[in-house]
Amino acid sequence: MSHPALMAALHITLTYIYCFHYNRKCKFLIKVEMASSEVSVSRKIIEDLSNVEFDTSEDVEVIPTFDSMGLRDELLRGIYTYGFEKPSAIQQRSILPIVKGRDVIAQAQSGTGKTATFSISILQSLDTTLRETQVLVLSPTRELATQIQKVILALGDFMNVQCHACIGGTNLGEDIRKLDYGQHVVSGTPGRVFDMIRRRVLRTRSIKMLVLDEADEMLNKGFKEQIYDVYRYLPPATQVVLISATLPHEILEMTSKFMTDPIRILVKRDELTLEGIKQFFVAVEREEWKFDTLCDLYDTLTITQAVIFCNTKRKVDWLTQKMQEANFTVSSMHGDMPQKERDNIMKEFRSGQSRVLITTDVWARGIDVQQVSLVINYDLPNNRELYIHRIGRSGRFGRKGVAINFVKSDDIRILRDIEQYYSTQIDEMPMNVADLF
Amino acid sequence: MNEQSSKKITFSKSTLFSLKAELLRKQEEVLKKKDLPQHKLENFTPAKATDKNKHENSELAPKQLKDKLKAVDIDELEALRKSKSALEKKAELYKHLSDGAGQSELTDRFLVDFKEKKEKGESKLVSDQRNIVPNVVPITNNEDSGEWVVFTDCLGRSRKCLQSDLELYRQRDKELMRLLPGYEDEEKGESEQSSSSKEQPFLVQKTKDYLQSLRQKWEEKEKELLAKDKDIHYQDVLFDEARMHGVGYYSFSTDEAERKKQMEDLLKEREKTLKAQKHAEEIRKKRDELVAARVAAAKARQRMRAGLPPEDPEEKKNEFTKCLLEFLNEKKNEADTKAKEEEKRLKEEREKERQKEREAYIREWDVGKEGVEGKVKKFRELTQEEYVEQQRSKRINEFAPLEALDSRKSNLTFDQRGHKIVAETSFEKTVNKTWDDVRKSIANQGREVTPPPPTIGEINEQKGLFFTSKKHDKSIKYKNFVKADEPTPIQNELSDEDEDIRRPSKRKNENNAEIPPPPTYEYYGPVPKTSKSKTPFNSDIREAFAQGTKSLESKSNGIHLSSHYDFTFD
Repeated sequence: MSHPALMAALHITLTYIYCFHYNRKCKFLIKVEMASSEVSVSRKIIEDLSNVEFDTSEDVEVIPTFDSMGLRDELLRGIYTYGFEKPSAIQQRSILPIVKGRDVIAQAQSGTGKTATFSISILQSLDTTLRETQVLVLSPTRELATQIQKVILALGDFMNVQCHACIGGTNLGEDIRKLDYGQHVVSGTPGRVFDMIRRRVLRTRSIKMLVLDEADEMLNKGFKEQIYDVYRYLPPATQVVLISATLPHEILEMTSKFMTDPIRILVKRDELTLEGIKQFFVAVEREEWKFDTLCDLYDTLTITQAVIFCNTKRKVDWLTQKMQEANFTVSSMHGDMPQKERDNIMKEFRSGQSRVLITTDVWARGIDVQQVSLVINYDLPNNRELYIHRIGRSGRFGRKGVAINFVKSDDIRILRDIEQYYSTQIDEMPMNVADLF
Repeated sequence: MNEQSSKKITFSKSTLFSLKAELLRKQEEVLKKKDLPQHKLENFTPAKATDKNKHENSELAPKQLKDKLKAVDIDELEALRKSKSALEKKAELYKHLSDGAGQSELTDRFLVDFKEKKEKGESKLVSDQRNIVPNVVPITNNEDSGEWVVFTDCLGRSRKCLQSDLELYRQRDKELMRLLPGYEDEEKGESEQSSSSKEQPFLVQKTKDYLQSLRQKWEEKEKELLAKDKDIHYQDVLFDEARMHGVGYYSFSTDEAERKKQMEDLLKEREKTLKAQKHAEEIRKKRDELVAARVAAAKARQRMRAGLPPEDPEEKKNEFTKCLLEFLNEKKNEADTKAKEEEKRLKEEREKERQKEREAYIREWDVGKEGVEGKVKKFRELTQEEYVEQQRSKRINEFAPLEALDSRKSNLTFDQRGHKIVAETSFEKTVNKTWDDVRKSIANQGREVTPPPPTIGEINEQKGLFFTSKKHDKSIKYKNFVKADEPTPIQNELSDEDEDIRRPSKRKNENNAEIPPPPTYEYYGPVPKTSKSKTPFNSDIREAFAQGTKSLESKSNGIHLSSHYDFTFD
């Protein structure tokens, strides 16, 4: 083995380790290029809601209105009363394939109606006369599972659909009774759902569809085994639907293990950030200055509603205490709180009683509160996907939003990396940030 | 009192700057306004000072002048009125805030620290005013005829008034003084303070109570939901969420019977609406027909009056062309629909085929489930190449031949001896390889194109049967069931981004594992990885030309050619 070759090998290894450290950048570059060459024909379609270039499978039909989707009348009424008028890009493309029974991988920007997409499809393919669980929706957090239940109930209000939120932290007995009562749809978190299946309370024989919301999170290290456990109890060849705003390549890679020839509706990563969400950063020299900056911004926070993200539960507690000591009204939520408290805080925030919420990444994915127009990353997220999800808590369904990142000097590099990765723009925060809402 | 010590005003420096800028702007505005004739001091004050009598006697005159001046700008007047009312409101608020400094919940909203202000005011009043205010002595203005007096009020402002009104003003001043917190006598102040300190928790308490009541309400609702086996609807789980709904939103009752009734009513209403719509449409149609008939009749009459023959023949001609067009269109449509149908049929057929394949497909995670067993028995023998690829994918990178790092072409490096070693070592590794390991290994390999090896324990062994070689895998994954006659995605990719020629060659190198070795490969053996030599860049060619010509030039410099030299044979 010659020296130069050895050096080259070493160099390559080091480079990849380096890249791995920075969110596996190189791997992504390569993989994503591969994806574009392998997956399918690209098609350029420009929508009013968002300029989307989908990397879709061939022959994905685009249906411009809800009326022409052939949905049942009661469902249509539910859709319109919920406030949807025209289907978003993702809704135009994915509802029909799901209704047809195909396996679907659907990706779309945050807040463009992904939950409604699969909810509508679920409701369309339900047999409401059959009082058994026909669809199972799994999501990573209890709050999200509850929210999905709400959306399904709202859209199916005229269909008399029964949907149960099967989540941890609640009374087992009540859960069992609810399931025994007969639920068309079960929306839950993997742990409790698996428990219920194992107890034979949640019967799986009539389940024809499994939906994994925030699929990339659900198929990640922490959850994958649990999903596998649940999947093993489902009838073979159950229809599977994967939904998320971010679908890294390794997730797409493994889908053939539990999906059959799925239809893909994908978004290129440089189009994953929304135009409507303006992104800024505030450079702070020291960690302590973040707090002062936050205090300065407090008045801006309360214009509508705001979410502040920290990376740890401890920091959430610390920051909340500090803010309250400084006489600012804030509420906080994280995974170590009792479920009752979490519920109450969610309800208060949803009803607008509290306006500023300090939280962890438990809140990063999927939670939809229309009034949230400002997201603050008190700490930068630990990976690029989380960044997209966090800032996506604002700017819901075409609304405007602002994301402000607090960066220490050594964080700026990471921010620039994110900026480049998503081909987006993160400027220094202007003085008149309050005018942007 | 101390614990609620003065509010810490937090502000960014930027706000100070903008405040300063605003202040400067206002000052400039004021300066400009001052220059206006009606605001000129020298125009005004002397008249006031000297023509005191006139002022008294004919108060109307200057008023008229004033009115005149003001009437010029009615807008300004209006604005003044508005600003006055706004200011009044503001003053009211200010008073409220300063009265109950620190106690009102509103104080949090404003940057002005009323508490501090109040305290300052107190101290000021105590120290200065107490001394000064008793000295509120009307200072008679000698210039005046004695009717106008200037006095200093409790706030230290000098005010001017008529002698006769002085008493009244002083009275007011006293009242104001009494209102000022610093002037309350001790007991009164104490009692007030105690009440105010009561007030603050009271306000906080109020919001807390409200939240508590909300929470209770929600909890009761939840209990109710859990208590009995009843259908749950959207209204049950809404919990006062502030959310915009569609225009047709109707909030149903949470009572089941009531809800049913509402639903029925809604349906009835809907039917009514539909009927009404239909009816309206019919009426509209009828009316349109009538109008059209009338217009036609009117036209005919007009023609008659003009002595023209009735319109029929022309219309007929028109109709003929219309018919012709229609006919042609119909034909065209027919052909179109036929073509479409044909296309659709083809598509359906293809879809059917794919559906069959889909049905035959066995997901890895389904293996071992009831009903799947039978299908699994179909054992598929791997080709040598697939087997090699499978083994290679399990291989730990360190054990790979060196060439594998920069070129995946090296089929030849994979001889039997090496294969054995790899198989042995990789076995141990793969058994307890986790998903994380695989990801890491992929990241380290970088160019590794193959998907990670199986991860979940129990089906690990079987995995190889179904997910084997990189090539094979790929066709399953991305070109699943795509027929061979369809364009391969790689070609599409190329045609999509029509970049320069370098792109494809680069890509080839990246994914070269997909490309079979050239037919002459065995003959020539592994070639050092230089695609450059195969496809020289334009610049290279140009350079070569340049050098060629240069050398020719240098040659030609040395040699003198005869004028009729024939270049063709050179």
